[in-house]
Amino acid sequence: MSDEYASPDGEESGGWFSDPRVTVARRDVASLSREKTIVLALLIQLFVAAFSSFLVVGLTSLYSPGSVSAGEVVVGVSGEYTDEIQRAAAEQERLRLVVYSDEAAVREAYRDGNLHAAIITDDSGGRIAAEVIAPKESIQTTLIVDKIRTLLEAVERQERVARADNLDRSTIPLPGTVEASPYFGFTYTVLIPLLLFLPPFISGSVAVDALTEEIERGTLELLRIAPVSLVDIVDGKAVGMVLIAPLQAGLWLLLLGLNGIEVANVAALLGLVTAFATLVVVLGLVLGLVTGRRRQAQLLYSVLVLFAFGTLVSLPEHPATTVAKLAVDSATTGSYLHLAGYGVAAVVGVALARRLAGRTDPESL
Amino acid sequence: MIAARNLRKEYGDFVAVEGSTFEVSEGEVFGIIGPNGAGKTTTLKMVAGLVEPTAGEVSVAGYGAGETEMRKVLGFLPEESPLYEEMTPLSYLNFFADLYDVPGGVADRRIHDTLDRLDLEHRERPLGDMSKGMKRKVAIARSLINDPEVLVYDEPGSGLDPLTTNYIIEFTRELGEQGKTIVFSAHNLYHVESICDRVAIMNEGAVVAKGDLGELRAAHGETKYHVYTTVEVPDSARENGRYHRVVESMDAVDETREAAQAAGGEVVDIRTDESSLEEVFLNVAESQSPSGGR
Amino acid sequence: MGGAGEWLRTRARNATRIAYWEVTKNAGGVDRRTLAIASLALVGLGALAPLAVSHGVALDKGIYRVGVTEEDPYYEPTFFDSTFRIQEPSSAAVRADQQEVLVRGTQVREYARTQKGRAAVAELRSTVDSYNDRLMRAEDNQTAAYPVVVNLTYVEQDAVQVVAPQGRTTIDTSQGDGEGSGGDGDGDGSDGGGAGDGGGDGDGGGDGSGSSDGTGGDGDGSGDGSGSSDGTGGDGDGTSGDGTGGDGASGTPEPPGDADSENVGGSSFTARLTGGSVSGAPSAISPPFPFRSLVLAFVFVLPLNFIIQAYGSTVLSERINRRGELLLVAPVSRGDIIVGKTLPYFGAALGAATLITIALGGSHVSVLAVVPIAGLFLSATFLGAMFARSFKELTFVTVTITVSLTSYAFVPAIFTDVTPIALISPLTLVVRDLQGQAVGAGQFAFSTLPPTLTALVLFGLGAGLYREEDMFTQRPIPLKVLDALAGRIKGKRSVGLLSAVLLPFVLVAELLVIALLFALGEASIPFILVAVAIIEEVAKSLHVYAGYVHARFDDRLRTALLLGAFSGLGFFVGEKLALVAQLVDLPELPAGRAGLSSQAALNTGLPLWLVVAGLLLAPLALHVVTASISAVGARRGRRAYAVALCTAVVVHLAYNLAVVSVYV
Repeated sequence: MSDEYASPDGEESGGWFSDPRVTVARRDVASLSREKTIVLALLIQLFVAAFSSFLVVGLTSLYSPGSVSAGEVVVGVSGEYTDEIQRAAAEQERLRLVVYSDEAAVREAYRDGNLHAAIITDDSGGRIAAEVIAPKESIQTTLIVDKIRTLLEAVERQERVARADNLDRSTIPLPGTVEASPYFGFTYTVLIPLLLFLPPFISGSVAVDALTEEIERGTLELLRIAPVSLVDIVDGKAVGMVLIAPLQAGLWLLLLGLNGIEVANVAALLGLVTAFATLVVVLGLVLGLVTGRRRQAQLLYSVLVLFAFGTLVSLPEHPATTVAKLAVDSATTGSYLHLAGYGVAAVVGVALARRLAGRTDPESL
Repeated sequence: MIAARNLRKEYGDFVAVEGSTFEVSEGEVFGIIGPNGAGKTTTLKMVAGLVEPTAGEVSVAGYGAGETEMRKVLGFLPEESPLYEEMTPLSYLNFFADLYDVPGGVADRRIHDTLDRLDLEHRERPLGDMSKGMKRKVAIARSLINDPEVLVYDEPGSGLDPLTTNYIIEFTRELGEQGKTIVFSAHNLYHVESICDRVAIMNEGAVVAKGDLGELRAAHGETKYHVYTTVEVPDSARENGRYHRVVESMDAVDETREAAQAAGGEVVDIRTDESSLEEVFLNVAESQSPSGGR
Repeated sequence: MGGAGEWLRTRARNATRIAYWEVTKNAGGVDRRTLAIASLALVGLGALAPLAVSHGVALDKGIYRVGVTEEDPYYEPTFFDSTFRIQEPSSAAVRADQQEVLVRGTQVREYARTQKGRAAVAELRSTVDSYNDRLMRAEDNQTAAYPVVVNLTYVEQDAVQVVAPQGRTTIDTSQGDGEGSGGDGDGDGSDGGGAGDGGGDGDGGGDGSGSSDGTGGDGDGSGDGSGSSDGTGGDGDGTSGDGTGGDGASGTPEPPGDADSENVGGSSFTARLTGGSVSGAPSAISPPFPFRSLVLAFVFVLPLNFIIQAYGSTVLSERINRRGELLLVAPVSRGDIIVGKTLPYFGAALGAATLITIALGGSHVSVLAVVPIAGLFLSATFLGAMFARSFKELTFVTVTITVSLTSYAFVPAIFTDVTPIALISPLTLVVRDLQGQAVGAGQFAFSTLPPTLTALVLFGLGAGLYREEDMFTQRPIPLKVLDALAGRIKGKRSVGLLSAVLLPFVLVAELLVIALLFALGEASIPFILVAVAIIEEVAKSLHVYAGYVHARFDDRLRTALLLGAFSGLGFFVGEKLALVAQLVDLPELPAGRAGLSSQAALNTGLPLWLVVAGLLLAPLALHVVTASISAVGARRGRRAYAVALCTAVVVHLAYNLAVVSVYV
């Protein structure tokens, strides 16, 4: 327990690794890997992540409206505007209309389960009133309702054109449909930023632990005997924690690649992750130094990181957007400027933190 | 009051304590001494019911170690004083009073009396901000919160400045005088000698000697006799006009007397020199391990 | 009798005492300055929210590049949509992947032949569509601008036979008699009155089943035939009154008091989430969110993740610098300490679940279903904190617990409506409860029993480590695992008991494997068999090995065989108790059947004695034999144990393959 610093790590430090900072960093990283639960935890995390991303991505595409291959949607129609609907349905894929002559028949067919959905049309003050009946509580509902919405929107467009005389403006024709993944945007603008910002956040949190734990256990005092300064210790702890983040982020990207999601500008993304990791690790260590208590430091850390991430909204480009643009290969000069800005901020942060550590009296901890 | 029979504790392949047997009667102050790693702490923890012995038995006040009834009559002070740093002395002591089922009024009085006796001023400050000595005083107050019959103190005075150490040893002695049964360990032999009725010496996990100090001296000490004669006898040295010989038994004293008389002189003075606990301890330790020390 | 009562009282008193101190002790754990800064930051974050809204947090800002000139009709739509970045049209740029879409006039001339390019075109289409809608909103003639009014209702089907009628035919079914025509009359157009059950005005509709003559629903006919096919022929031609905005609603056959009686107007969020009626222009209706269960699951699981942070922290801090040592000498039992320390956090978890349940309109079933989940989170954290040797390690352990238990809880819940396997997660019960579906006692037991038992076992194993030697020393993890197991071994017989007690783990692990692999269909069976064999053999022998390591048993071969027999028997008995699995139709799935293979021997037409033998004796023999093999190995040390374990797995696998080939 308390012999952490008395361990013979120091023996080797006389060799080519003579920088005390390297020694501290190595000890920190080594203690991470020596604690095998962490390796295990990472592996489990990876496994679960692999599994769940496969599952979520797989499921969404499986049930994603439009891309479902499990046959077509059968819709019963009746009422005054059956023809209009039929005309619009002609251009829809994987949709089959069954026309009924009266409403009761449609309802019965629906109720008996012969139809996925039913549309009963009627006139309503010059409008087409379409009553849509869809099944309750099933994942298929989403698909069905989506199909019907597309159909009715087509009817709407058609009608607008037909009634163009009564309109002052004319609508713009839509570009043709293309088979596209409906989750493309989500993947790049939400999933990837989330996955890339998670590792820095964890790194900072672990950095808080790494420092406050030594303070609370009293092992930091022992360092006063060793020929290292507080700045060296903070440096060492920072290096270890900062480097873990891009490593983890890289793993995520690799995993996404295996799932068929290509990510561009990997180097720039990892650079951004490193910069953010540096910033939050610095924040964590500073909080550790200032409060000296894990509970306080952790609470402040999470709240402040959230706050800081929130304030970044005021930037021309939020970091999440920068990540999205880089990942999807639509980066602008602005994106790279932001990236450079984070790099500079990280360097400044490190410098400030080192100054603070230099002025902190280890005895006061 | 306390009976330990053939206590044995293994940690994997390592045998920490091996066949410890000792008894402590009511009102006695019993010291356990020995070098670091001798198994003192493990033994005390087994007495307190913290560590389950691999073999052997302990009973305290007629209860088996670790039984709830036994815990109620026991006060334990571990070597380090682990405290809940965010609590104040008062809340900390109240917490334990609650755990030990001490009624509120009694607890209040006892806490303040004890802290008064221990001379602890700051009672509303977080424990984390206190000096080691103050923390140790709070820990001692905690060990007395249930007015226990038996106290098990592991190195009560270690790691503190000499003044505080003396204060705490003195306090322990007073507790002994009040009739508490106390088992405590130390490697500062002076403290043991000053307050213990009886002592056990441990080395490498085993009790190698025990008894009151007289018995121990007799068994392991070297009482030296300084014989001063007017004439020269074998092995003597001249000193202030007399001859001085150091011998280790009464037979040798008699032999010296005869030699002096044979040479026409006489014995003018005999002084006995009893060995301290420290010397007894060193002797025992040396006879145990030829390499000496640990 | 009185002794038991007294014992219970003492336990309860001690536990509440420790719980009380746990709460008060930690309340002072954070000082005012920290709280002030934290709340300031939170307030600041709140203040940022309007800014964020006004600023627009467009995460997808500028991810697609479109080549368009100002003359093009598409210029304006793309200009107003920040998703697009406008560039000079250039074919070269498209080819160089510098531009995704190139438009000329109202045509997409070129687009990058990549996922991104296609996504960009799809995005452009929806951008133009919503631009058109905006344009139409400004029209004076709203009838022409919004020529279609949709009124969407969700109605249950009696039978779901997703068989499409043949061909595209016009079926003339003009018999029009009262029999069989769907009994739900439209709501009348009286401003959204006819929502949900019954008619808007008055209780005009016979909402009971039966009454085949039909209270003819002219006018405000509303009668809903709640589920019966011979409902009233209420063909009430509810002309949707004024028609603007489509605020007419129709009756849906659901129990009164359900969610959608509150609001039908437009696509309110709750309506979308609970699948109530929605109406409006076509673009205003939105399909129900397919992963509603996911969202709900997350809401229930989220607080647990924060609670275990604090809980793990408090458990581990007992171990730092031996602070908890003194509790161990106080006259309270280990169980009291653990229960006492856990109680506040368990209470917080239940409190949160109750609040969420009330907010989402669930019943007590939801709260009860969260109990095992909370127990699982807390017990796993407890065990993790007993294993962790530092806060760093604890942080990782907590993350792992969060990730794995959250996915255990809510991945199956996604399948709530799809497969009974979803019931392996109690969260599925929550989802069902929130959807207003009934939960059977058998389902409840199947869903909650394994996690509850698992939580208890985890607490039990953690309690095995709640002692001086494991709490305050840096013992290697594998040794601690063995310690935790050996702590429960008192004699040879307890080996059998432990085998049975470990069964929840086995069940959960196996069900998880099934859930993981069932997507593969039939192809998953071999994987499942291998995984099951490994899981079961480890579960039957690890504690035996632990007992040998702790020298609980003598070295004789007879002892080893006896231990194997006890372990096998214990496992067998536990497995038979696990027949709860049959309460749901899990074995209907091939994967499930393979997983629970030793019980899949019914309906095979074999002679009865053979079935009995197959059902009882064969698995018993298997468990005893394989457990004995590994026990004999465990007697001889680590390497021998590993070899024996592999042998046992192979034997088990051979048996399983035989069973599957015979019965499946």
